[in-house]
Amino acid sequence: MSSKPANLLQGTLDLLVLRALGPEELHGLGISRRIGQMTKGTFLVKPGSLFPALHRMEEAGWLSSFWGESENNRRARFYRLTKAGKRQLEVETEQWTAVAIAMTNALKAT
Amino acid sequence: MALWPRLKSTFRNLFHKPRVEDPLEEELHAYIDIIVDERFAAGISASEARRTVLAEFGGIEQVKQAVRDRRAGVGLELFWQDARFGLRQLWRNPGFTIAALAALAVGIGANTAVFSVVNAVLLKPLTYPDADRMVQFLRASNLLASNLVNVRELHAYQRQTSVFQDIAAYDIAGPGFNLTGDRPEQLHGIHVTQAYFRLYGAPVRLGRTFTPQEDLPHGGEVVILSYGLWQRRFGGDPSIIGHSLQLGNEPHTIVGVLGKEFLSDPAADIWLPFQFDPASNDGNHFFRVTARLKPGVTLAQANAQLNLATAQYHRDFPQSDPKQQFAVGMLRDSIVGDARNSLLLMLGAVGLVLLIACANVANLLLVRATGRNREFAIRAAMGAGRGRIVRQLLVESVLLSVTGGVLGLALGFAGVRALLAVSPAGLPRIGEDGSAVGVDLRVLGFTLGVSLLTGILFGLFPAFSASRSDLNSTLKESSSRSGAGFRHSKARSLLVVSEVSLALVLLICAALLIRTFIALRSVGPGFDAHNVLTMEMSLNGERYQKTAGVDQLLRDGRERVMAIPGVEASAAGYWLPNDVEDNALFRFVGRTTEKGCCVTKWMSITPGYLGLFRIPLLRGRDFTENDNAGAPGVDLINEALARQFWPNQDPIGQHIMRGKRVESIVGIVADFHNSGLARPADPMMMAPIAQVSDDYTAAYSNIQPLFWLVRTRGAPQLSIPAITEQLRIASAGFPVAHIRAMDEVMGRSTARQSFNMLLLTIFGAVALLLAAIGIYGVMAYSVAQRTQEMGIRMALGADRSVIRNFVVWQGMRLALIGVVAGIAASLGLTRLLSTFLFGVKPWDPAVFVSAPLILTAIALLAVWLPAARASKVDPMQALRAE
Repeated sequence: MSSKPANLLQGTLDLLVLRALGPEELHGLGISRRIGQMTKGTFLVKPGSLFPALHRMEEAGWLSSFWGESENNRRARFYRLTKAGKRQLEVETEQWTAVAIAMTNALKAT
Repeated sequence: MALWPRLKSTFRNLFHKPRVEDPLEEELHAYIDIIVDERFAAGISASEARRTVLAEFGGIEQVKQAVRDRRAGVGLELFWQDARFGLRQLWRNPGFTIAALAALAVGIGANTAVFSVVNAVLLKPLTYPDADRMVQFLRASNLLASNLVNVRELHAYQRQTSVFQDIAAYDIAGPGFNLTGDRPEQLHGIHVTQAYFRLYGAPVRLGRTFTPQEDLPHGGEVVILSYGLWQRRFGGDPSIIGHSLQLGNEPHTIVGVLGKEFLSDPAADIWLPFQFDPASNDGNHFFRVTARLKPGVTLAQANAQLNLATAQYHRDFPQSDPKQQFAVGMLRDSIVGDARNSLLLMLGAVGLVLLIACANVANLLLVRATGRNREFAIRAAMGAGRGRIVRQLLVESVLLSVTGGVLGLALGFAGVRALLAVSPAGLPRIGEDGSAVGVDLRVLGFTLGVSLLTGILFGLFPAFSASRSDLNSTLKESSSRSGAGFRHSKARSLLVVSEVSLALVLLICAALLIRTFIALRSVGPGFDAHNVLTMEMSLNGERYQKTAGVDQLLRDGRERVMAIPGVEASAAGYWLPNDVEDNALFRFVGRTTEKGCCVTKWMSITPGYLGLFRIPLLRGRDFTENDNAGAPGVDLINEALARQFWPNQDPIGQHIMRGKRVESIVGIVADFHNSGLARPADPMMMAPIAQVSDDYTAAYSNIQPLFWLVRTRGAPQLSIPAITEQLRIASAGFPVAHIRAMDEVMGRSTARQSFNMLLLTIFGAVALLLAAIGIYGVMAYSVAQRTQEMGIRMALGADRSVIRNFVVWQGMRLALIGVVAGIAASLGLTRLLSTFLFGVKPWDPAVFVSAPLILTAIALLAVWLPAARASKVDPMQALRAE
């Protein structure tokens, strides 16, 4: 968890968390590792950013949490997407795609 | 973010802290434990694994704080922390808190009280339907301006139907009505035209209002009762309609009762129809006319239309005053009248008091903030942002001001009652005993707004000043205590200077009003009011429509009163000498004059009126009992009239014509103040009541009560029962009302000035006190801060008196700057006061010298105490301390 990887762009952390929780329920460490995997190590999320984001998103009603057992039998807090969270994932995916295409086009233009 | 989950979280975060905090702790530890487990499984020792994981994690407490900072309701929680801390701070400094709260409560309370009255009188809309379109007819000429109208003019107005609707006439004071029968009582009644009830939207409780026929001559004797009279005299009898009411021994049929909620202006017990003759040529101005503008018509359009009507009126009545001009103004302005200026003056004065209170509290806060410099510096060093410190101070000052506001509101309630108790009688629109002056949303909003504004105003200044201070120097400064916070002392000096100057402005205004009042009181009215009793009688009924009937009553009544022991003189007249409101037109016999000449103040009196009031007869003779209806017409004139029309000849023996009657001038009397003490005597003419025309007597019976006047040898109150009894016998059962000593009448005529003076004096005294506290606070603090410096100076050989004078000079320099600024501001501001002044100029030198002297003396006292303390410093102790 060095500081080398790019600073998370404003707003990308939410989308990455939502995306990581799309297919499965994960605990905090799981989410952090899943994001690392998905971005092939470009984004590494530190606990100082991850937990505030998780709690904020839960308060917003996008995530719900429950206590479960980790792979090595530790009691851990798991998160899953709510209905609102799934909608938010769609909305943010669309927005991000539009921005990405626009940026790509802008950078290609001469 | 969705509202509901957010609210739920906010609530949980604020009120169920453990339920949020404990799982967070557990969650973070689980995160660490899982990684530790993995590394342990990979072969790293347990302690080494934990150490590296914790290092990578980046501090559990910091992560927790980061989570907390993102939580819903974090702003509220911080506010709550600040508020609790602020309350603790205030609680721990009771001296400071009490001083600040007292200043605020007085400032806000005085403002609330005055604003409540201003609200009721000036701001609240009239309670009539479409009141914003209600207008009053005004009549202006270069001879007089008034809102009284005559029948000819009323008819001219009633033709202006293109701009007005519901044009109604009503008389104002009226003579009152004698309710005769088993319990005689004088009732307050007004005559109205038929449209009156529709115009004012009067609710009808029983029966009906007048029909158009009942408002024509010989339309029958009908009357409408107020709800109050109906309850009081008839116990709310629902079958009262059709019964008769005995007024002046004549039966009147009751046709209606109005609803309880109807507030007429002026208040009345009964209403009667005017029954004007459409062909009437009566030129007496004795009633008011109000109408409603048609929808969409502006005041300017209506006045333009009235310009045309004026021209037509002068063509129809060529003998009328050619300079006369018709106009309308908003009804509310007419009702409020000159109370407006008084109230605005009060509002301005209490505004200044509030400003001074604010400056004072800001000063106290600033002093305290300086004392807390170290606290703020330490907080800043621990990472508190500037915003956080500003917020802390603002929360404290708003807390203080809102508490002050609540106290002020309570004080304001008491203040309103006190204000109404001393306010001049006849303040419009305040209801019975001020019942209409109360707390409504507007007053509450005003108080709340003033408190918050005050809190922010005086809180912001110390807050920025405190947060701006440089960390390093503050921490160093507080370790060596000589020469504290230069910038703060500058800010405090500025506040003291403004306090002193504002207080001086108030003091000068108060002094000017005091001088006005003294000047008014020292005006000789031109007559002797001591030991004179005045009583009013309404002359209702057939007998008093003829001059002979009135004359008979006057002769009989005066004879009976004179027979009472202790009575020195008796007389009667339609006006009291201090306030004559009737005018008469006259022409000269054997002299041509321009059209419209001549008009003069005029009243009719019995013989003995002049002698009773000890008004000197300069030349000629007084009226006698022989100047009766059969004798040649005679007049008395005052000096002012003699100077105006007979500057170079002797008026005595000259003849004039009033109406068709020729009268000769038989005497000249000394001028007396016949339209209030503040104005010089108007030219005036007097005639014997016995000689006025029957028309005149009949008209007066509807306009004005008769004043019975009695001079007694001792205190006049003792003779009241005997006098009223004799007058009741002479008038065959009429009551007398408004029995007052003439001294009391004179006192009432200066009631408004005395009210203005009293309030401004109170405000000035409060301002003076606050300013003195302000100076004292600054100097006392400065001395306390500089004890060490004083000690060093003394140790080096400075004299005690030098030290004392040094401190005195420091304080007085501020006071003197404030005095100079205050004098400059007053010179600009007192001009606004000139309408309230009498017998004193707005730049009166005596006031502009004495008020600053008083203020300077008080300031010197406030500075002397800390200075004396400074000079008593023991050098050894001062040096050893800290």
